[in-house]
Amino acid sequence: MIGARQGVMTALQRLVAAAMSRDMRGFVVPGTDVARAAGLDLGAAGIQLCATPRHANVLIVLAPLPAGLADAASIAYAQMPRPRSILALGAGDLSPLPDADVTGPMTQPGLVAAMADLRGVIAVGAFQSNVSDYDAPALQTRTEFTCPMHPEVVQDAPGNCPKCGMTLVPREAAASPNDGHAMPEMEHEMSSETPTKTIATSHDHGTHAAADASAQYTCPMHPEVVSDEPGNCPKCGMFLVPVDAKDKHEGDGHGHDHDHGTHSAADASAQYTCPMHPEVVSDEPGNCPKCGMFLVPVDAKDKHEGHGHKHGAKNQESHGVHSGHGAGEARDGIEAHFMSMVDLTRDMPTSTDGLKMEWIDVPFGPFFPGLPSGLRLDLTLDGDAVAASFAQSAIGEQTLLHKGAVPPKTFADDLSAMSPLSPVAYRLLACLALEQAARQSVASDIARARIAAAERERLTSHLGWLAGFGAQSGFTWLQTRAAAMQLKTRNATQVEIATLGPKIAALLKRVPRTPLLNARLRGIGLLHGSDALSGPVARADGIVRDARGDDPVYLGLGFSVHTSTGGDALARLMQRCGEISQSIDLISQAGAITQPDPPSVGKVSGTGEAVVETPRGAARLSVTLLDGMVTKAEIGTPTAAHVALIGAVADGQELGDALTGIGSLDISPWEMAV
Amino acid sequence: MTILVVLLSLAAGAYFIAVLESWAVHGRLQFSRPAISALALLGRESLLARKSDRLFFETGPVLLLVAGLLALAVIPLAPGLIVTDLATGALFLNAALAYVLVALIMAGWGPNGAYGMIGGWRFLGQFVAYAMLIVMPITAVAMRAESLSTVDIVTSQAALWNIAYQPLGFVLFVVAAMGLCWLPPLDLPTAEGDLAGGIEAEYTGVRLAVLRLARMVVILALAGATVTFYLGGWLGPWLPAWAWSGIKILIVAGLMVSAGRLVPRVREARYLELSWKLGIPLALTNIFVVGVIALVVPI
Repeated sequence: MIGARQGVMTALQRLVAAAMSRDMRGFVVPGTDVARAAGLDLGAAGIQLCATPRHANVLIVLAPLPAGLADAASIAYAQMPRPRSILALGAGDLSPLPDADVTGPMTQPGLVAAMADLRGVIAVGAFQSNVSDYDAPALQTRTEFTCPMHPEVVQDAPGNCPKCGMTLVPREAAASPNDGHAMPEMEHEMSSETPTKTIATSHDHGTHAAADASAQYTCPMHPEVVSDEPGNCPKCGMFLVPVDAKDKHEGDGHGHDHDHGTHSAADASAQYTCPMHPEVVSDEPGNCPKCGMFLVPVDAKDKHEGHGHKHGAKNQESHGVHSGHGAGEARDGIEAHFMSMVDLTRDMPTSTDGLKMEWIDVPFGPFFPGLPSGLRLDLTLDGDAVAASFAQSAIGEQTLLHKGAVPPKTFADDLSAMSPLSPVAYRLLACLALEQAARQSVASDIARARIAAAERERLTSHLGWLAGFGAQSGFTWLQTRAAAMQLKTRNATQVEIATLGPKIAALLKRVPRTPLLNARLRGIGLLHGSDALSGPVARADGIVRDARGDDPVYLGLGFSVHTSTGGDALARLMQRCGEISQSIDLISQAGAITQPDPPSVGKVSGTGEAVVETPRGAARLSVTLLDGMVTKAEIGTPTAAHVALIGAVADGQELGDALTGIGSLDISPWEMAV
Repeated sequence: MTILVVLLSLAAGAYFIAVLESWAVHGRLQFSRPAISALALLGRESLLARKSDRLFFETGPVLLLVAGLLALAVIPLAPGLIVTDLATGALFLNAALAYVLVALIMAGWGPNGAYGMIGGWRFLGQFVAYAMLIVMPITAVAMRAESLSTVDIVTSQAALWNIAYQPLGFVLFVVAAMGLCWLPPLDLPTAEGDLAGGIEAEYTGVRLAVLRLARMVVILALAGATVTFYLGGWLGPWLPAWAWSGIKILIVAGLMVSAGRLVPRVREARYLELSWKLGIPLALTNIFVVGVIALVVPI
């Protein structure tokens, strides 16, 4: 066993190992939602699911793992305490993870058999005398040196800053230069193991707020520097930090604008001081004799207050250069700056409630239990309220047609494999577009049978969302019931679904009556009237937007668009419950269920376009056929637009509410990356 | 001897609560489950997070265990079967449980992880919500018994259990007690969907085992307190006194650990709002009503 713990198998160890083999705690990569969509019942296989790899002893990998998740998976493995094991289901390369202890096919019997094998492996191999260390490549670090004032100055050896002469300080950095995708996973590990109590990171987080179109950026040292884009201050090279418009205008509350107004107005009476050493004062510009930094101009008032700061030694230390601007008002009987929260939090960003706190950057995902797997969310938290958010898919780029021209069947297979949460809808999309390109049409009974398959998937997908909501909100009853129904309906025939119908109806009837549910969801994740809304999210806001409404086959089955009102998380829950019942009705109308199969097109050339209402909204595909091969394809998925709305849903909310709101959008990061 | 018997019965009680909780979460009643899990946890590495606050990290779980054990010291299981019958037992229980807050903040802060830290601070907010609703119902109970001794409180219910005498206080106390031992739907500090385990997220191996054991002890203490204050403690016909205590405590604990699976987690803001705007006026009403009844009707 590769992840064995150092030790010898004495009688006691054997006993403990036997206990471990019966106490299997699993952490699923990419996530339980993908596992359920693949038809795996992990609980029935004897696995207790864990919210964090720290509590797990088996990493369950659903292969193949997309490129963007491989590093994150290796970090999750590195976080697990030994003895730890890897169970890989499905075929695919696991690197940089070590080899799996046990592998199996991605089916329920395969899982059960693999678990039995794994128990055996753990029972005999949990403790070994020689164990190998595992270093996740994404976690390897080296020491580099940087200037405290000029973050752009980075070198491998200690020395002095070429810009200001200060001694460079060491810091940890990733071993290999990271590109945009690999970087976040690095920070993922940090979230569990490093910073948070130091505020340092929040200042140079400018890039994250880039998602906010209205954001402006300013230099923490030079408020007169305002830019529309993140970057560095032209005066001192520090990273610009985001400001919102309100903050900028109300600067007088903190005295910044005013003070700096005098700064720039200072002319004849100008004196110069060191930003780090306020006791250094000179009539002429030059360098600080203590640290070599350039001296900056001050006016008489500022200078005086700069001295005042020497009383608060701690303050000076923690806020360094910032306190140079300090202008704490003396109050009766209280020495100026003594434990003043106004001073301590002077240069920190202000929350909407006016309470200044340290802001911390917390990464969530890509394997966070309360989010869709593969979604990577960076939240800037102000206390436990979300001050800023940045979301992206961690799946990595998935390219259609990466092998060049492909036959239609391969194309449909590839497209459906790219979105494991709703493969049938994308398969249907491929088929419809290809048929249009080839100018073919299918018989009406087949068209209905395909719709039945798509509706069964919608039913399953919405039940899966309900299970996910149950897991996120600690509503265990809903989680287990909905997950069980999802697994039962996944491959059910029309007759089986008709039998399950009353049970599902009973579940749906019980959900809205749940005590505390309204209080949990009402008013959370409000989104009104946006054009970007699609699928159940749009229909939960009363918008009649459904690709099925234009489809003659659907209309022939008596379909009409179901909507709800409210536009919040509660409305979305109710909308999905309504659509589940609607899907059951449509399946009973449609006849037998058949998976959509791509047409055999011969040597046709042409272009085709199709729209399918996936469980998450309308997806569009246009394909070009050349001599019977797909040469060009373009796809538009509903999820990307919803991801752009995460800021609107999360910002300013309490953490739990923000995550509930994001969860209610039912985002599939798999679709985003296509 | 008494202490030994009490300790053994407490150990058994904590074990049974663990069985009940595992049943509530996983839907299977397996009596060997907690023993196997504990043994497996002891065999796993107990990792120390980088840059952790070692003192807080190590102290948190132990302090929680100590707080729970101290609270249990004033819970009577039968006449004479109590670790220490303090004259101020009900007050001592409060004092001991106050350390739960300290322990959780230490456990949240210690590992230097965001999830744990937010969990710890969330519990501080939660404390603001539940604290008054623990103390005020106990006040009404003590008013009837005219004593703070837990033994006197039990004997004062010989004619009528407090659950019937002051049902409002019972409901408030149980809800507040669930908040104190962060049971769902009030499990804000460990919320899996929000914080991936929160204060528990960075604990592994032996330390996690201690943390979980400590939580069981705190749940046991609060179930014991509920039985003592409202369900007549050891009082009951036919069976021996200790059996009544045991049965009642396990039933209360079972209800406490399993109620949360049927509802979603409460929002922190909502919890605070309800506790202060609704809970405290109700608790004051309860004190007033109990005061009037105690003066007018001699039961």
